[in-house]
Amino acid sequence: MSLLTNLQPGESQLPTVSHHGEIPSGQPTVTITIDGQEITAVAGEAILRAAQRAGFNVPTLCDDEKLAPAAACRMCLVEVEGHDRPLPSCHLPVEAGMRIVSASDGLFKERRQNLEYILSDHNAYCLPPCQVSCPTHIDIPGYLELMAKGQHVEAARLVKETLPFPFTLGLVCPRPCQEVCRRGLVEEEIAICQCHGYTGEMVMEMDQAPTPFPQEVASGKRVAVIGAGPAGMTAAYYVALKGHAVTVFDRLAKQGGMLRYGIPEYRLPKVKLDKELDCVWQLQGTEFKGGMELGRDFTVDDLLTRGYDAVFLGIGAWVSNEMRVPGEGLRGVIPAVQFLRDNASGIPVEVGKGSRVVVLGGGFTAFDCSRTSRRLGAEVTLCYRRSRKEMGAHYTEVDDAEHEGIRLEFFVAPVRVVERDGRVAGVEFQRMELGEPDASGRRRPIAVVGSEHVIECDIVIAAFGQTPDLDFVKKEQGLRKTRRDTIITNAAFVTDRPGVFAGGDAVIGASTVIQCVAQGKLAAKAIDRFLAGADMAEVAKEIAAEEEVPELIDIVPYKPEEPQVRMPFLPYAERVLSFELIEKGYNKAAAEKEAGRCLQCVCPDVGRCDLQRLSLEHKLTDNRFHRAEPVDYHDYEYDLTHDFILRDLNKCINCTQCVRICKDVIGADCYGLMGTGFDSIVTTPFNASLNFTDCVSCGACVETCPTGALMLRERDLTSYEIDVVRCIYCGDCVEVCPHGALGETPNFELSTYKRFGVTVLSKEELAGARTWKVSEQIPLGGHEDTRPPEIRPPGPPPWGA
Amino acid sequence: MSRLLGDPPASGALGATEVSPEEIVSRVERSGLRGRGGAGYSTGAKLRAVLGSAAGGREPFVVANGYDADRQSPIAATLLERQPRRVLDGIAIAARAVGATRAYLYLHPESTATRTGALAALSTAASDLGDLGVEIAIGPGGFAGGEESIALAVLESRKAMARQRPPYPAREGLRGRPTLVQSVETLAWLPSIVREGPDGFRASGTAATPGTKLVSVTGAVARPGVYEVGFGTTLGTILDGAGVAAGLKAIHVGGPTGGLLAASRRDVTLDYAELAAVGAHLGSAQIRAIPAETCVVAEAGRLFAYLAEESCAICVPCRVGTKRVEGILAGITSGLGRTADLPWLTEIGDQMARFSLCGFGITAPQILRTTMAEFGAEYRAHIDDGRCPTGTCAPTRVRRYERMVQP
Repeated sequence: MSLLTNLQPGESQLPTVSHHGEIPSGQPTVTITIDGQEITAVAGEAILRAAQRAGFNVPTLCDDEKLAPAAACRMCLVEVEGHDRPLPSCHLPVEAGMRIVSASDGLFKERRQNLEYILSDHNAYCLPPCQVSCPTHIDIPGYLELMAKGQHVEAARLVKETLPFPFTLGLVCPRPCQEVCRRGLVEEEIAICQCHGYTGEMVMEMDQAPTPFPQEVASGKRVAVIGAGPAGMTAAYYVALKGHAVTVFDRLAKQGGMLRYGIPEYRLPKVKLDKELDCVWQLQGTEFKGGMELGRDFTVDDLLTRGYDAVFLGIGAWVSNEMRVPGEGLRGVIPAVQFLRDNASGIPVEVGKGSRVVVLGGGFTAFDCSRTSRRLGAEVTLCYRRSRKEMGAHYTEVDDAEHEGIRLEFFVAPVRVVERDGRVAGVEFQRMELGEPDASGRRRPIAVVGSEHVIECDIVIAAFGQTPDLDFVKKEQGLRKTRRDTIITNAAFVTDRPGVFAGGDAVIGASTVIQCVAQGKLAAKAIDRFLAGADMAEVAKEIAAEEEVPELIDIVPYKPEEPQVRMPFLPYAERVLSFELIEKGYNKAAAEKEAGRCLQCVCPDVGRCDLQRLSLEHKLTDNRFHRAEPVDYHDYEYDLTHDFILRDLNKCINCTQCVRICKDVIGADCYGLMGTGFDSIVTTPFNASLNFTDCVSCGACVETCPTGALMLRERDLTSYEIDVVRCIYCGDCVEVCPHGALGETPNFELSTYKRFGVTVLSKEELAGARTWKVSEQIPLGGHEDTRPPEIRPPGPPPWGA
Repeated sequence: MSRLLGDPPASGALGATEVSPEEIVSRVERSGLRGRGGAGYSTGAKLRAVLGSAAGGREPFVVANGYDADRQSPIAATLLERQPRRVLDGIAIAARAVGATRAYLYLHPESTATRTGALAALSTAASDLGDLGVEIAIGPGGFAGGEESIALAVLESRKAMARQRPPYPAREGLRGRPTLVQSVETLAWLPSIVREGPDGFRASGTAATPGTKLVSVTGAVARPGVYEVGFGTTLGTILDGAGVAAGLKAIHVGGPTGGLLAASRRDVTLDYAELAAVGAHLGSAQIRAIPAETCVVAEAGRLFAYLAEESCAICVPCRVGTKRVEGILAGITSGLGRTADLPWLTEIGDQMARFSLCGFGITAPQILRTTMAEFGAEYRAHIDDGRCPTGTCAPTRVRRYERMVQP
């Protein structure tokens, strides 16, 4: 007997089984075998139900135990002995002695193929690649949407959930998010960084910077953060928000670390940096101690004995790598870090008007040195051993440098530094050509024999990367370093010594600001969990799981074109001998316009979507039916007409769960599968708005939708008022409210809202009002008998009166 | 030897009242009659199954499927227009055999003449039907509407969508009751088999599949139309009888989801097992002669384009799979094919045949299997040389399916 028959009136009822796997006594049962395991099933129930109860993970997209089976999605097909084709387990009732195979390589492949079909017409975005690729995972679509609506403070709050310094990063971030922006598939990526730069700049002007959430009350714990750079300051910010007292130590006098002493003024004005970093000092319990160097002025032991409960080492990478060529000890050869730091600290540097500078390297530091030297009046040649494409610096930086008059030499590697009169006179180079790709995927340069030549210069700045200065480690217990001179930690940023955490460049080697911020953010989380006494191995697992790159991101994008709003830049002519900030910043209108270009390519159903879950389970992260003609996909308009239910037919997979739940459970019968073939859709009669159906806004369809085709509409919160004069006390609102926001009380006449001028009645107040008559005012607070005179005509008589 | 389109049976009481229901079933069983709707299930066994399910006091229904889903194969219409009384008699006999008092004659909405004729025959025969109520029901139109579970859905006033089997209608059909669903052609055989005994019926056809079959010969033939031929007749004989032109390329057997056989397969006989062995099926019994200048790849693409529109849309492999196959085939005929497309099509076809809900999706991959097996060179010419051997393919698309790369 099938389940369909069971639903026919007058026929036997569906077997009743509790939701949590217990078969009530008295139910007739049968024994079946699934994947070689004997299980007990209730006679007449679907195989799927029995399998689920026994813990088998049979995939399904169209099954709901409240509903008659449709066998539509074809995901729950299992092999049943005696049948030559697999059959849907949601539909087939168990029979005694059945032998079933619920999982096999063949079924897995066929189900995967089936999912591939479904996804091939699931015209939707899944995750925003920008958010995935940002090391801090800022909710980019979220803040851009808020910005587009003009809610800039809210936007800043949202950004600060994962990135405390949006203005700074807006200027200096290498923008991994923008490289993957889907708008780039349409015409040009969104200026994501400049947008949060704008919000950051805007909230800097406020007396009190907005925080992502209110600072928690003081916990009594103290944390020492060593290093006031991006990692340290970020860690300090989030640790302080959790209510712990934070002291930030730095060996230099002022805060900012590499942001201050590495990044030149024209990229990041230090006045503004200080203003933005103030958001840390505005928090309770935070203090800065400059000029205190770890290993010289104090040790980790000192901190722990002086009452700090945890220590975070964010000491950065401050030692410039050596050139490893003869002559690098000559006068006039300056390590990049030292050059930038001296210049930023106001210490006179050797570079000046008319000096000839050769900068070696192709990363951000090399360009910072070149452009700084240029601004000091020097003739600068930047030499890199590979091509423009392989440069570590962002392409805009390379273009800008060229425009500012810096000579770029590619495919040259230094052989030795030429000496004259005890100091630098030039650098001898060898031409290179590209060979096979190396481990990093970049093609390895090979020297061309006989191509040696000399570029004359007065100053050589070597920017071959930096390494942390870990001399202090020798004096500390429980700290170990790698061969690359970085501190060893686990995924929870814990060193071998409990309570001592490390992050940023000191752990991952010289990297970008945003990576260090991400490290600081995660380390703060780990520190907070440590202070709460959590098992750090568990925390490490959690963090590793959170940081895993999701495999399923994209499906099919399409949107009309609209070019990027250009960031105003300082003209090249004005950059000569000037450290003025290059990026002038968006104004409000430009920022909102640019933010509005965001495709919002994120599905609100991510994480709850069964289709996404099954796709990942079936390792279906690519799709062979991609990028063909428009006729191969559907592109429907969103239906935004209904106040609560958002219908996005592009995501519908024809599982018909909403059809069945609306008809069989709710009784409103708003949906149907319309049409035939590939172009069929599940929609309302005549594809009309839900407003024109018998929809009661119960949300059952949204709840049952296995993907994001039916979603609760996001709304700005509004308060509702009831017009008591027109209310007929039908109770319909109470019945249909899917969230139980309206309730019945023992005395339903009193359960009105805003009656007698009372704004909100609490449950207790209503419960206590049981004995009060309609015409009487409900006493608020205590329930003393202080009945005021009648102030309104009585309502309708109670039922049966 | 009895023929369906021969002389109409003598008038008189319908339903072979002189024969007991048990004897009817027994005679049908002995005749070896197999369902003419395409699948070829034994009619006697089906009657037995319905009787068995009806034993618990659940009164069965009879549904006579005269829908003619494949409009190129108007077999039911031909029978109903030329032998309406024979059909009604068959319905009445079947109803008596299983103990049904309600029967439905299920027709295509475009078969208006058939419907008028059937109505007239019904009113004439009303008094001869006894307590059997026969109603004419109109299907939704379209190819899928002829599928038995869709017919039942339509009779229940539900959306015309296929329903998963098992349970088969013989056990749980219309409104959950045992239902005998038979094609009009099958039922039309019952009067002669039951009244005259199975011998006349067995005189034609083969031992495994006795009797004659109405087939619709279409395409490149001089005299297209519905013919009655014995099972076991070769396809060549049937085509010659309809005046097939010389230089045939392929024979398309079984309607839109049927296989395309090379013209050299003229010796294949009309028989369930033999057609299955070469990858085709009897299906709607359409035998279409495909002329030499037809590109088989494009023809397969057209068939899948049709199927992608006609799928009832409930199950994924049929609804989306047919569309994707069409896209791949259109890619090949547009010069965008790749060698890897062929194993891909095989993979898709195998999955579709195993995972589809009803015969529609289960049989559709026959088109792929037969064309790729018999006309592999044509596929390869499109893919490897970028040309259509018949010179008839024009590009219909500029972009093919590509593998997605996650950002």
